[in-house]
Amino acid sequence: MNHLLSFLVFLPLVAALVIILLPSGFRDRFKHIALGTSLIQFFVSVFIYLNFNNSAAFAGVNKESQFQFVEKMAWIRLDLGSIGKLEIDYLLGIDGFSMPFLVLSSLIMFVATLASWEIKANLKAFFALLLLLNTAVMGVFCALDFFLFYIFYELMLLPLYFLIGMWGGVRREYAAMKFFLYTLFGSVFMLLVIIGLYFSVLNPATGNHTFNMILMMDPGSYLGSSVFSSVAPQSLLGISARLLGFIVLFVAFAIKVPIVPLHTWLPDAHVEAPTPVSIILAGLLLKVGGYGILRICYSIFPDAAIQSAWWIGLIGVVSILYGALNALAQSDLKRLIAYSSVSHMGFVLLGIASGTAEGVSGAVLQMISHGGLSAMLFFLVGMLYNRVHDREIANFRGLALVMPQYTAFVVIAFFASLGLPGFSAFMAEAFSLIGAFTSQEVNGLLPRWMAICGSVGILLSAAYFLWTLQRMYFGQTRLKGGDKWLQQLKDVNTNEKFALVPLAILAVLLGIFPSLVFSKMNASVLAFIQLISG
Amino acid sequence: MMKDFIPYISISLNETINSLSFFYPEFALGLGFLLVILSDLFFAKKFPQLPAFVALLSTLFAGVLSFNMLKQSPVQLFGGMIVQDHLSTLFKLIFCFISILFVLFVRYHKDLQSSNKGTGDLFSILMAVQLGLNLMVMSENLLMVYLSLEMVSVGSYLMVGYLSNSPKQSEAAMKYALFGAVCSAFMLYGMSLIYSFSGSLDLFSAQFVSFLSTTPFFSWGPALIMMLIGVAFKLSLVPFHFWAPDVYQGAPTPVTAFLSTAPKIAGFGILIRLLAPFQPLSLSGIDNSMFSLTGVLAVTAIASMIVGNFGAIWQNNVKRMLAYSSIGHTGFMLMGLFIFSVSGFKAIVFYMVIYSIMNMAAFMIVDEVEEKTGKQDIDEYKGLGKSFSLLMIAMVVVLVSLTGLPPTAGFTAKFLIFSAAIEAYNSSGSGLIMTLIIVGALSTVVSLFYYFRIPLNAFLRKSDDPIIAFKNSPKSYISMFLVFLLLFFIIFPSAILGHL
Repeated sequence: MNHLLSFLVFLPLVAALVIILLPSGFRDRFKHIALGTSLIQFFVSVFIYLNFNNSAAFAGVNKESQFQFVEKMAWIRLDLGSIGKLEIDYLLGIDGFSMPFLVLSSLIMFVATLASWEIKANLKAFFALLLLLNTAVMGVFCALDFFLFYIFYELMLLPLYFLIGMWGGVRREYAAMKFFLYTLFGSVFMLLVIIGLYFSVLNPATGNHTFNMILMMDPGSYLGSSVFSSVAPQSLLGISARLLGFIVLFVAFAIKVPIVPLHTWLPDAHVEAPTPVSIILAGLLLKVGGYGILRICYSIFPDAAIQSAWWIGLIGVVSILYGALNALAQSDLKRLIAYSSVSHMGFVLLGIASGTAEGVSGAVLQMISHGGLSAMLFFLVGMLYNRVHDREIANFRGLALVMPQYTAFVVIAFFASLGLPGFSAFMAEAFSLIGAFTSQEVNGLLPRWMAICGSVGILLSAAYFLWTLQRMYFGQTRLKGGDKWLQQLKDVNTNEKFALVPLAILAVLLGIFPSLVFSKMNASVLAFIQLISG
Repeated sequence: MMKDFIPYISISLNETINSLSFFYPEFALGLGFLLVILSDLFFAKKFPQLPAFVALLSTLFAGVLSFNMLKQSPVQLFGGMIVQDHLSTLFKLIFCFISILFVLFVRYHKDLQSSNKGTGDLFSILMAVQLGLNLMVMSENLLMVYLSLEMVSVGSYLMVGYLSNSPKQSEAAMKYALFGAVCSAFMLYGMSLIYSFSGSLDLFSAQFVSFLSTTPFFSWGPALIMMLIGVAFKLSLVPFHFWAPDVYQGAPTPVTAFLSTAPKIAGFGILIRLLAPFQPLSLSGIDNSMFSLTGVLAVTAIASMIVGNFGAIWQNNVKRMLAYSSIGHTGFMLMGLFIFSVSGFKAIVFYMVIYSIMNMAAFMIVDEVEEKTGKQDIDEYKGLGKSFSLLMIAMVVVLVSLTGLPPTAGFTAKFLIFSAAIEAYNSSGSGLIMTLIIVGALSTVVSLFYYFRIPLNAFLRKSDDPIIAFKNSPKSYISMFLVFLLLFFIIFPSAILGHL
């Protein structure tokens, strides 16, 4: 019971070791091991969801005692001589912000594993890497010690590099390297800020320099004369040190989100990645960016965050519009969805920047909702590509007649994504926009026009989704590959239904009962708003 | 005249006798040197591996003796020629570790084993070099600094040219020797200048320190810099790095692995000693100009990181690439020196331990691939992930560690160095150190680019060659053990840090 989070994090690692040690004769069993692992994780995370206490006394955010399922162990203690001791803990814990992501992660991992049925080559390496990635993602959402967080955060890069690079499309080398360099660029500078932070923060209980994120959120634990001290503001390279620290962390996470103009790795990575990896990339890794902004950038540097709210809102709006316009221009279905991700993640930024309870709740819900929907969309594209090895929009027409069930799922995914009421994305985007809209009166952070521009983004997403639906799925059947394709285009099989149905249910469920997420995180959202508004 | 010295004779004799008990590890090495020669002379025919065994044993013995001295408080030995302290003992332990790996590496290296010269002489040179290394990190008198440095240098020249079975190797050895001779001449000249200024060769004598505090930087600075040139050569810092790529490529791989670690680490030891008396004057101050000791060191570090890392991008030979990358690593390690205190030394020593593990493992794997397939170029590594799967996975871990990413100890090492540098920035607020830190961060990103060309070729590309499954040799098991250490030390860094 006490080690539930560790179990969740390290179970996949154990499974990966089992797969590595098993002889290749068990090749066909690897996927079952991976699937079983993600299923167990799913049940554990649902158990955590059900047992999660959502009262204000367990809000978490900046109070360590309020976190749930906490595990704490001393890890590294190093005497640094004149400046004191360094303290790194193995500290896991969850609050209302991280808990929904655990459920989402296990669900997405389950779907990604099902999508891995298409992988035929080098199964041992594939599943071992997939499970390693699983460990890293879970760890990121649970870690409360910055050092530990960083290790998990960086651990995500390696498996992804190989997953894209070894099983990807034609330009996989380029895409994998680009992805790796982009993210590393952000995170190396993040490391510098982490070091600056631990020099600045003392654990009042022990007097040691600490990596504890929660202590970093408390202005009281900063040394008076330190770099990131909030009492005596210092300047670095000509600007306020705290603002600089915030910007560096923000850029590191924003590359992951991604924001325009740091998004160019995303279309390449998505197009070249095999389906399961695209699913994880869109469903989880983008969310790590958003989660990091909430948990780390905003919570540790609230003053700088408020200061830069206008810019973050602007970046959000630009991402929404630019991503949507780009999506309109795409001729490759997977690229279109990749750009739609950029657009939809813009709402997350807009909601967070608003600094209102509605906006922040909307942003988190948008991440959960988009996690499910983008996974569904990429899965659907992957199904098409698997069957005929083509995903040019212009090469398909009237698919509804050939694959009626498949089209039904596509319709659900498309309508849910474009923000039709009754689906999760509607709730999420509506709340983000309400937050952005009321921000002018509540705290004066964002001007109204940002919300208005954001809603234009919804309009645009309706345009590209509906247009694609019309071009590819409706009308007379005309396929580039002719009768051969007609043969190959089989409708949804059972396996695929197992993956698609839970995601469709998630979209509808959260659209009708958004309180399934809202109620669990409300206390945390309020605590968070209180933290950033000082 | 002579009579005046008579009372001193007994004092210095006593001192020497008292010093001997702190000199056991070096005795072990000296004895090892003799025994290796004897065993090579008389028993090499019957027991060809005896010299290796003797070398291994005496190194181990020296290691154990050094380990016992770890808790020893600092003592000056032989009339202030050398000093035995915690830091030097740590360095000595690292040398023992590297030497043991070197002996094993040579034992399983085909070219050296099949050479008609035998390996006995190589091991006797190793013993002598190791003795020199130990003296290097202990010396605190300028004469001793020079002597020990030359002892290591001469040994190194011999090691590089040991086989000289190809013009390339002879060229490398020649280049190394010539370059080294010029640099040590500079060093000697710098030392003589310093001596003529201060009238003392003892780095810690009151005379030396008082001279420094009364004389402006412009007069002792150039002399000190000339002195540092000799060390910079050993460290292959820019602009004294030109020998490194050729020597690394030309020398037998075990020698390359040895040269890229042990003498470099000793160079750091000597650098710390040489800078210590100058430290209160310029390292801790708010000194921000380029024309100061801090400035010179920072510019060198920046140049080394840039040249090393950008140079590595264009290399196609794996060993050359590793040579350039090691130039970058040295520049990076220099960052730890700017906070001239315990935390900085801890960071540097930890980095060195991890660095020697990484480099040894990398060269062993590269050598294994070269022996089995003859492939030396990164391009040729295409598809090796299939035929050498385990070895190449090990290589990936090593490269990840060299880049400084989790989950490997390379990350912890990099983290500690960055910590030290940021601490230096905090206490000085120097813009130059900030630049250094940013260059260090950027060079990490650049290094990823060239290090990952190996997995890129090995795993992401397919080759047309038929897949042959190779049997793993003892060498590859040693490298896998080293890789295991890299993974172990990120979870339990205290296993090293606890002793620092």
